[in-house]
Amino acid sequence: MVNGFTDFNAILLFIAVILPLALGGLLLLGGRFPQRLNRTLALVGFAAPLVISLWLFRCFDATAAESGFVFQSRFATGLEALGIYLHLGLNGISLALVLLTGVVGLAAGLFAMQSQAERGHLYLALLLIMLGGLVGTFASIDLFFFYFFHEFALIPTFIMIGIWGGAGRRTAAIEMTIYLTAGALLSLLGLIALYWNSGAEYFSIIALREYLAAEPLSATVQNNIFPLLLVGFGILVSLFPFHSWAPRGYGVAPTAAAMLHAGVLKKFGLYGLLQIAAPLLPLGAMEWQSWLLWLALGNVLIIGLITLAQNDLKQMIGYASVMHMGYCFLGIATFSVIGAGGVIILMVAHGMSVALLFLLSTCIYHRSQTFDMGAMGGLARKTPVLAAFFVVATMASIGLPGFGNFIGEFTIFMSLGESEATRWFVLPTAIGIIISAVYGLRAVARTFFGNAHEGILKRFEKGEIEDLRWSERLPAGFLVVGLLIVGLWPAVLTDNASDAVESIYGRAPVEQSALVLQVETAAVESLALLTSDLHSNER
Amino acid sequence: MTIAHYLTGTMLTPAVAAVLIALFCRQRPKLAIALSVGAAAAICAFTALAVIKADGETYRASMEWLTIGDLTIELGFLFDGTSAAMLAMVALVGFLIHVFSIGYMKDDTSPARFFGGLSIFMCAMLGIVLADNLIMIFLFWELVGFSSYMLIGHYLTKPEAAAAAKKAFIVNRIGDLGFVVGIVYAYWNFGTVNLTEMAAVLEVNPDLISTTIAALLMCGFIGKSAQFPLHVWLPDAMAGPTPASALIHAATMVAAGGYFLIRITYLFPQSVLTFILWLGVGLALYAGICAYAQKDIKRVLAYSTLSQLGYVSAAFGLGFSSLALFHLITHAFFKALLFLCAGSVIHGCHHEQNMYRMGGLLKRMPITSITFFIGILALVGVYGLSGYYSKDAILIAGGFVSPAAMVLLTFGAFLTAGYMGRLYWIAFLGEPKSDNAAKAHEGSWTMTLPLIVLAILSIIGGKIGLWPEQLTGYIGAGLDNLAAMDGYDALYNNILIWGTLAWVLGLAGSFFFYGKGAKTDRLEEKARPLYHFIEGRLWFDEVYDYYVAKIQQRFAEVLAFLDVFVLKGLILRGSAGVVGVLGIFSRRLHDGNLHGFVYWFLAGTLIALALALGWLNFS
Repeated sequence: MVNGFTDFNAILLFIAVILPLALGGLLLLGGRFPQRLNRTLALVGFAAPLVISLWLFRCFDATAAESGFVFQSRFATGLEALGIYLHLGLNGISLALVLLTGVVGLAAGLFAMQSQAERGHLYLALLLIMLGGLVGTFASIDLFFFYFFHEFALIPTFIMIGIWGGAGRRTAAIEMTIYLTAGALLSLLGLIALYWNSGAEYFSIIALREYLAAEPLSATVQNNIFPLLLVGFGILVSLFPFHSWAPRGYGVAPTAAAMLHAGVLKKFGLYGLLQIAAPLLPLGAMEWQSWLLWLALGNVLIIGLITLAQNDLKQMIGYASVMHMGYCFLGIATFSVIGAGGVIILMVAHGMSVALLFLLSTCIYHRSQTFDMGAMGGLARKTPVLAAFFVVATMASIGLPGFGNFIGEFTIFMSLGESEATRWFVLPTAIGIIISAVYGLRAVARTFFGNAHEGILKRFEKGEIEDLRWSERLPAGFLVVGLLIVGLWPAVLTDNASDAVESIYGRAPVEQSALVLQVETAAVESLALLTSDLHSNER
Repeated sequence: MTIAHYLTGTMLTPAVAAVLIALFCRQRPKLAIALSVGAAAAICAFTALAVIKADGETYRASMEWLTIGDLTIELGFLFDGTSAAMLAMVALVGFLIHVFSIGYMKDDTSPARFFGGLSIFMCAMLGIVLADNLIMIFLFWELVGFSSYMLIGHYLTKPEAAAAAKKAFIVNRIGDLGFVVGIVYAYWNFGTVNLTEMAAVLEVNPDLISTTIAALLMCGFIGKSAQFPLHVWLPDAMAGPTPASALIHAATMVAAGGYFLIRITYLFPQSVLTFILWLGVGLALYAGICAYAQKDIKRVLAYSTLSQLGYVSAAFGLGFSSLALFHLITHAFFKALLFLCAGSVIHGCHHEQNMYRMGGLLKRMPITSITFFIGILALVGVYGLSGYYSKDAILIAGGFVSPAAMVLLTFGAFLTAGYMGRLYWIAFLGEPKSDNAAKAHEGSWTMTLPLIVLAILSIIGGKIGLWPEQLTGYIGAGLDNLAAMDGYDALYNNILIWGTLAWVLGLAGSFFFYGKGAKTDRLEEKARPLYHFIEGRLWFDEVYDYYVAKIQQRFAEVLAFLDVFVLKGLILRGSAGVVGVLGIFSRRLHDGNLHGFVYWFLAGTLIALALALGWLNFS
């Protein structure tokens, strides 16, 4: 076991966690600093994770470490007796999420900096702490710190809703707190139970993997522990029917917090299931597979339909985000390499697209002074750039090819089709592509096209509605570029993750493989012979 | 430079143009037009180079795009006779429509958005044409849907345009549901979705052919080619600018559905083919009848497009996919011509689209009027014009396979001549019926020249001997096969007589029935109930609207209500979230005491922990 830093990049990873936290702490005290200094410090904190994660992406080589986790660093924190160390490092799966954190973090930070919130330094400070916590969560190999950093990111959300939230923030915040605390607690219990039963010396992913590979838990134990993790993580990701906190919470959360929470923090639960629960408890996972499949179908279809009935733009985005989590759960539920790959792509793409939608919905609010889509309309006349961005964001989130969400969802459909047992799920879940098109385009039409509502017309006349400013275009453009990169070049995420995913999910070949192989051989043999006259033959 | 470079060039040039327009040309309309039209010209050049270089040989190239475990998604080209012919048609018609748009969109408020949309469309359409696998086809399939959405909704302030754009996209998505599920099933059934490899797999193992997969993939075609019962989006799509209707909703995109079927002909068992045959025949007749109760010149043409798409699917369903391709291409020439003429009329008449407010255009817009008439003659299948060759071949094929279909399709040709005649006699002859029509004028040369070129193509487009061998190989082989069948000559003569009779009767009948430049619709006057029945178009839109507004939306609202009140009330309040599920302490929680809540929360937690660690075991 290493102690200290393994290499220079490990130091960088450490900085990516600590720097936003430290700067956030500094800003908390920073009421006395000149505003300029505050903003500069904040910008450094927001940009650091992205810059570092891009560099780490460039240097990433999963084969460099036996465990698949590179850039490792490990420090004693006084909890050695419990096997707990501050142990950081990245594998292909967590690298993708750290990159996502960097992108959304910078976009949320830039947007927060131009939003002129009251007590702005406090706002930025909390956001920085959230960001540091997020990087820490995904960079943690130690499960205690995985959980600890998650709370570091979660608590600022509650505070931000409490101070800067919209109307009805009290009830929404209480509901959100109850749900998320319960979810976090359940998953912690599951993790402790897992650690306890495994007999591992350290509370880390690597140690647990080694111990459980050598001596897997009995089916009964797995079946008991997995539901805790499933429900616990599930609540955090708004698994049906534990979702109701999400749309209401996002509805009142200040924009930057909603961007980071819906975009990144929510992925904590998916990451936990993907990286920890399913691989360490394969038997438990198989036992509970049908539960997960059916609940995820509930996310896609029932929540999808509920999204159709929303009139509040921000709530609609919240529900849509819950719906898309259903696809991630489905991908995880296949427990397959393809499913895991699809989930990684979709997590990253969804994180960026939902952050973009929350950002744009706030831009719309600043112009229309309402989130009620019934009281909007015709905005595109005065705000063509905002309209273009919103159409792009909607198209991305409803799975238009070219943006990452499409390829993530498609890969998940493919993973469902891979096994005979889940193949019939493809059709009902794919109905989601119709539902999402309906609510997405309806929102675009009600907001931007057609006739303007009276209130909007008045604001048109007073000249109060201007197009997207550059300070708003910058973070939005940034997220669009991210979505396009993932959409046009999805291998950028999956190639790095393939080692990790294969080592976790690469099981004995499923029954189709034999058939595929046989067919392929036959195909190659006859290819040259047949293709020349293939198309000239009429039936 | 290899063929791959040329083919990539055809797709990349419009893509780059679209990106540049989106980023830099919002305030520079001239530059946007130059970029977009330049890209369309470049496509023609690249196409010519690729066709010459390939010289009739099939060319294949592909690269891996994404590999995850057993899933490999590739991007690649399959450049054979089919795609070469389609590519040449799209490039040529596309370029002419781009040129026409320069004049037509001269006074538009945001030409950059329009031309950017056209460029996105060209890139996506060529992607469908050249793709070598189902997944890649689907990628670009969705993108043409997006560009169609953009262009239908071009007039932002018109509510009906916004509604039509949305409708087109969503109805297409319904078809795409089947398409995407079909791809998943095909991949795991055949082990590949590459067009060539699937064919080879089926050749080796014909048992793998699957009605389910064919039917699912067919759904994509039904949506994109506006087949029954998803045809409802196409007439509404006419709310977009006319050149976009010409390019997307007449000549190319709606044809993409048929082209897609032609690419995967070998996947279709006889049962699905028969289904598609009757689907096509039904649509040809249904749309042909609907056209009689339309007064908007573009909507008449839209129903005509639907009807002709019915012929395309009928040809495919008869098992003659090369004839489907043939009719698709000749249709693209004369229907693009008809739409551009309609655009020229609408432009000349200051955006008047009602044919009963036109009249006398022959004198004021001679070029448009004459080319429009040529388009009609080609459409109704006058001997020697392009429509004759493709339509008669389909009728002959029908005679061999299904005489009933042949009779019905011949009757469809009579209907076609009737409604096209009605349109021409009323809108172009007689005296002007409104001020706008009286002031009608011909557009600039950028508008008339494409009409003339398309008119020439409509005349000669069906004589395959005039085209380079590299483009017509596939269609020519199909025609030769047909001609070699027993009894061809007798059937040929019969069809020639009946086909000619159909269009003569149709054109003459409508002339005598409706009269020159009539002010009112005679059918509406003489047989009001019949006219209204036809105008109702079997009430598909009404039924769908009812479903969406009264069933789906209400169901969604009920669910949303339950979501707020039941879930929140029962789970959250009643039993304190998930922890409550684990215990029976819900009654205690009703007192709303926070301390009590915390204790129960902890207790539940401990029970859960005990369960997880195996200290407590219920089983």
